[in-house]
Amino acid sequence: MAEEALENKMVIKNLSMFYGGFKAIEDVTFDVPARRITALIGPSGCGKSTLVRCLNRMNDLIDGVRVEGEVNLDGENIYQPGFDTIGLRRRVGMVFQRPNPFPKSIYENVAYGPRLVGIKEKGKLDFIVEDSLKKAALWNEVKNILRDSGQNLSGGQQQRLCIARVIAVQPEVILFDEPCSAIDPVATQLIEDLMADLKENYTMVIVTHNMQQAARVSDFTAFMLVQEQGEPGRLIEYGDTNTIFTNPTDERTERYITGRFG
Amino acid sequence: MEGRKSFHQHLEDLYLDVLRMANITVDIIERTRRAFAKLDRELAQGIIDGDDEVDDYVKKIEGNGIELLARQAPVAIDLRTIIVIMRLATHLERVADLCVNISKAVLNLEGYTLSPWISENMDEMFLGAVRMLVCAVDSFKERDESKAEGLSKMDDTVDRINRSFLKGTNRDSEEEVDLVIRVVMISRFIERIADHAVDIGEDVRYMITGQFVD
Repeated sequence: MAEEALENKMVIKNLSMFYGGFKAIEDVTFDVPARRITALIGPSGCGKSTLVRCLNRMNDLIDGVRVEGEVNLDGENIYQPGFDTIGLRRRVGMVFQRPNPFPKSIYENVAYGPRLVGIKEKGKLDFIVEDSLKKAALWNEVKNILRDSGQNLSGGQQQRLCIARVIAVQPEVILFDEPCSAIDPVATQLIEDLMADLKENYTMVIVTHNMQQAARVSDFTAFMLVQEQGEPGRLIEYGDTNTIFTNPTDERTERYITGRFG
Repeated sequence: MEGRKSFHQHLEDLYLDVLRMANITVDIIERTRRAFAKLDRELAQGIIDGDDEVDDYVKKIEGNGIELLARQAPVAIDLRTIIVIMRLATHLERVADLCVNISKAVLNLEGYTLSPWISENMDEMFLGAVRMLVCAVDSFKERDESKAEGLSKMDDTVDRINRSFLKGTNRDSEEEVDLVIRVVMISRFIERIADHAVDIGEDVRYMITGQFVD
């Protein structure tokens, strides 16, 4: 199959991350192609969530965290001194495991980010709110209740509200940290469909403990593993998702995805 | 961490079923060979009547295979193994069908006598096809890529004998021409059995390597 040459949105090079003296991930290198979905899979504690949080420097907020190596966004290392981390988190947004809408109205949840970057005009905010909710496939369900609290929505709706909130600040990359683990299968299907739609404009990275979800939604898959307890998580295999799930190269990947451990 | 014990048990059961089906099929070709060699009508009729056993296996294997695909979403080697087991079952079913066709042709050979050169060549073809099917099943059982690869070479021999029948016929003998026409039909069936063995070999190579064979 002829495949257009992929442009890399992010390039992770020899990335290691320490919590104080403990090395959580070691020497991870892989590319995140633009406008594609890259999945990070692996057993609990393998460092996949830690890794995805390195991609927008979310771990900076934790004391004693130190990072070695590079995470390049459009060719620029986000860990270089003086890099604009506020701008970074706007360009690289994140959706978490548990939907976490602010205790505000649906409208205000989505308008919050644009207001932070200085947009005040009501017409413009109205447009952004509607547009973001439409892109998050939530508009039809909430257009008449925009003043209701975001926290009154169902779990799946709350998660799409959080996606709308990320989209509202026009990110380039969206990181999903187990976005469906707290919602039901129907809502999960909606989120997966939504991710497929968003692929046209956004680069996405998804951490998931559901291997079938990775197989369904992603274009590329990275498998991480902690080999012995106390060792750091390492990237074992990275490749296009079809290959990983039909014919992985590394025996450890094969054992994990087929459910044979040890 | 807990593995997928029940799934792998079901996969093992599926694997054992297809091996049992393969053993039965090899036995059927062997009996078909004897039925032809001795023009044994009783044996031939038994093969025709016994075909249900193979059909039951293929239904069971396909049903269980589809259920595993639907409910367990297998990947990697497990996925390839299930796909190949299901294909193997289909090939074996066709092989058994071809043996039924041959047996029916044997019933129609009543009153004929096989000349020695026909008997010898046909027997060699039959044995070649049996060896190929055994080799194909072994390559599956032992995950042996070189055995699977060797099948197309073995097939050349069967093809060569198949082509030699028309050439070797004494065209002045009307009786022999009539017999050879019937025998050639049977040799075509054997040739197709050998082709199924080659296809099984290609499936096995896919199962082992994950790469399709050209």
